[in-house]
Amino acid sequence: MSASTMCTTALSFTRTNGLCLGNYALRLLNRTATYSTALSTNNGKGFPNRGIRGPRRPKRESGAPRTEKMPENQDWTAVYPSAAPFKPSAVPLPVRMGYPVNRGVPAEKKGNLELMKIPNFLHLTPAAIQKHCDALKPFCTEWPAGLDSDAAREEHFPIQVESKEFVSAGSSLRNPKTRVVTLRVKLSSLNLDEHARKKMVKLVGDRYCEETDTLTIVTENCPLRQQNYDYAMYLLTVLYHESWKTEVWEAEKTRADMEEYHWDDSRSQKNVLDTLRRMRVTSEGEEDPGAVREELLGQPEVQEYRESVTRLKNEGETEETMLQYREAVKKLLNV
Amino acid sequence: MTLHRLSLRLRQAIMTLHRLSLRLRQAVTQARHLHSSRRGQQLEAVAVEPELPKELSFFRTRESDPACHAEVHMGQYYTLSPVHLRTVFPHGLPSRFQLQMKTFNETCVMVRQPALELISHLKKADYSKPAVRYMFYGANGCGKTISLCHALHYCYTQGWLVLHIPDAHLWVKNCKELLPSTFSPSRFDQPIEASHWLRNFKITNEPLLSKLKTTQRYVWTKRESTEEGRTLAELVEQGVARVRTSSDVVGALLKELRLQAGQPMEGRQEGFRLAVAVDGVNALWGRTSLKKEDKSVVAPEELTLIHNLRKMMKNDWCGGAVISSLSQTGSLFKPKDVYLPQELLGEDGFDDMDPFVPVPVSNYSEKESESCYLYYMDRNWLQHPHSRTEEGKKELLFLSNRNPNVLERLCASL
Repeated sequence: MSASTMCTTALSFTRTNGLCLGNYALRLLNRTATYSTALSTNNGKGFPNRGIRGPRRPKRESGAPRTEKMPENQDWTAVYPSAAPFKPSAVPLPVRMGYPVNRGVPAEKKGNLELMKIPNFLHLTPAAIQKHCDALKPFCTEWPAGLDSDAAREEHFPIQVESKEFVSAGSSLRNPKTRVVTLRVKLSSLNLDEHARKKMVKLVGDRYCEETDTLTIVTENCPLRQQNYDYAMYLLTVLYHESWKTEVWEAEKTRADMEEYHWDDSRSQKNVLDTLRRMRVTSEGEEDPGAVREELLGQPEVQEYRESVTRLKNEGETEETMLQYREAVKKLLNV
Repeated sequence: MTLHRLSLRLRQAIMTLHRLSLRLRQAVTQARHLHSSRRGQQLEAVAVEPELPKELSFFRTRESDPACHAEVHMGQYYTLSPVHLRTVFPHGLPSRFQLQMKTFNETCVMVRQPALELISHLKKADYSKPAVRYMFYGANGCGKTISLCHALHYCYTQGWLVLHIPDAHLWVKNCKELLPSTFSPSRFDQPIEASHWLRNFKITNEPLLSKLKTTQRYVWTKRESTEEGRTLAELVEQGVARVRTSSDVVGALLKELRLQAGQPMEGRQEGFRLAVAVDGVNALWGRTSLKKEDKSVVAPEELTLIHNLRKMMKNDWCGGAVISSLSQTGSLFKPKDVYLPQELLGEDGFDDMDPFVPVPVSNYSEKESESCYLYYMDRNWLQHPHSRTEEGKKELLFLSNRNPNVLERLCASL
């Protein structure tokens, strides 16, 4: 079998490459092919009774594979009770795997190394998992009935602590990554007022995500998981108490430190008031400055202008916000 | 096959007829312009002729007075007379546009919506109130500078005093001489730029300058000073002649104009109106590329010209308008794709200019791009045979995404 395949491959090689092997070379190839034919009488079982000069032990016929004796309603968990390599004689599926050589079909499962190399989950069928669950059930308690929704879980258990377990067979059972502890909590579930919230966000920096309103503390400084968990809880407590305190130097907070843009007392407000005052003075006489300021600020155009500027600064600049600003200014300046 | 060839020949004949008739019309309009300019009146409007059939005058209009431009003329090109060109824009137009002017032997500007909007605001505004600030903004090459020039042409034809700074970016970079200021020790003067600008300013505004007078005495050096009551034209002469003090002269001039705009002056009931036009206004609040002798960077407020111009940008004076446009093209240290006002002006700039009326300028609309293509065809600018076909036109418009600058560059290489 192997000689004929070699012959055909050799001939196909010459044909496809367009090489014109000379007569001598072709005869050489054929001779090698014929030489190898004489040798291959082996049926594939390696070195049986190698070097024996007398009569050999009679060969035993192998029986039918297990797949033929399997009833349809068998218990599969008995065939694969635990993780085991793929046994073609025990798996009754006509599965093929491999590259289709010579535009043929993938190789069959018998003796297929590719199928044996890959991991399989034949030991984790739904029936097997059901058996695992039934075995574990006596050790479990009921899931609390009140915690059936995400909102309920958030309300009663706002802090989520995450840590990983690693199982592997090696010279040591311990894994240094087990000591990492991640603590997640939503700031909305903490009792913080405006000032405390802003201070907390400034204190934690990158650890706070604005979109999900989650504070994430990852601790891995200490060698043990228990110690890291205690440290994370300690950090949370300290942050909470510190953000409620107001230090003396916090009064020096400047406009550049502010998280959001406030229109009151801003350059924009000053500009608008000046402009409007100048527009009025040209038409009327002197008036009490305080009252004039209040009156000017109360006008609807000024309110609209204030909305548009705040939106422009807080939300960022886009065509839409710019157009809104444009309309507001046009109304304000009577353009 | 023969039918196809016949139809092709017919089409070519129609095109040549089209071109001939347009050239005739153009010659007629030019003759009329020369005739009107000989009379020498700035405020005279050219009479509107009855329009020829629609297909021939699709992209041109005979209305050359910006005051009379209306929605009807949108998308059409109007011609600037050479006299106006020399006085209003000695330094105002972009360089590529100037090349085009020289090649086509005429100055045609398209009437577009942003400029029309601004002109309508200027017509309706109340000039006893503080000056309103307008700002053109838009992507690169959309036509902000040309819209500014169009509005400025309108101001000039209405007899306003035009203060045009063609590109403020030129004052914050590539300055050969930076002298310490004579007036204030912490500031720096730029004599070359200042004197160059004063010369061009004089060309634009000669008649009005000879009527306005200074309100206080200015001392330039121990021996030179300008007394109170001298004309502003003399002040400008002083600046042009004595290059060392030209930056301070610019400052004094701006102050005088600020004080006197809108005030009644001799011979007229109401005062003159002042149009301050600054292109590339974001240069006033950006960074400079100039360095002091100790290699530290010069901030914009340390330059006299910029300092005085910033004062001009405030709205604490009446009797005029401030028309500005943003520009990323000449700007320093700004990424290429920013075009919105706050990004280019920065926090400081926005707070200084606030409240201003932003006027967006966008790419050509369908009608405008048609009109632009027809104009180039009329001027025989498109030499490539494929560009003269319908497909070629679609290709050009697609490649340029109807952006005026890109379209112009593409057509220039054909």
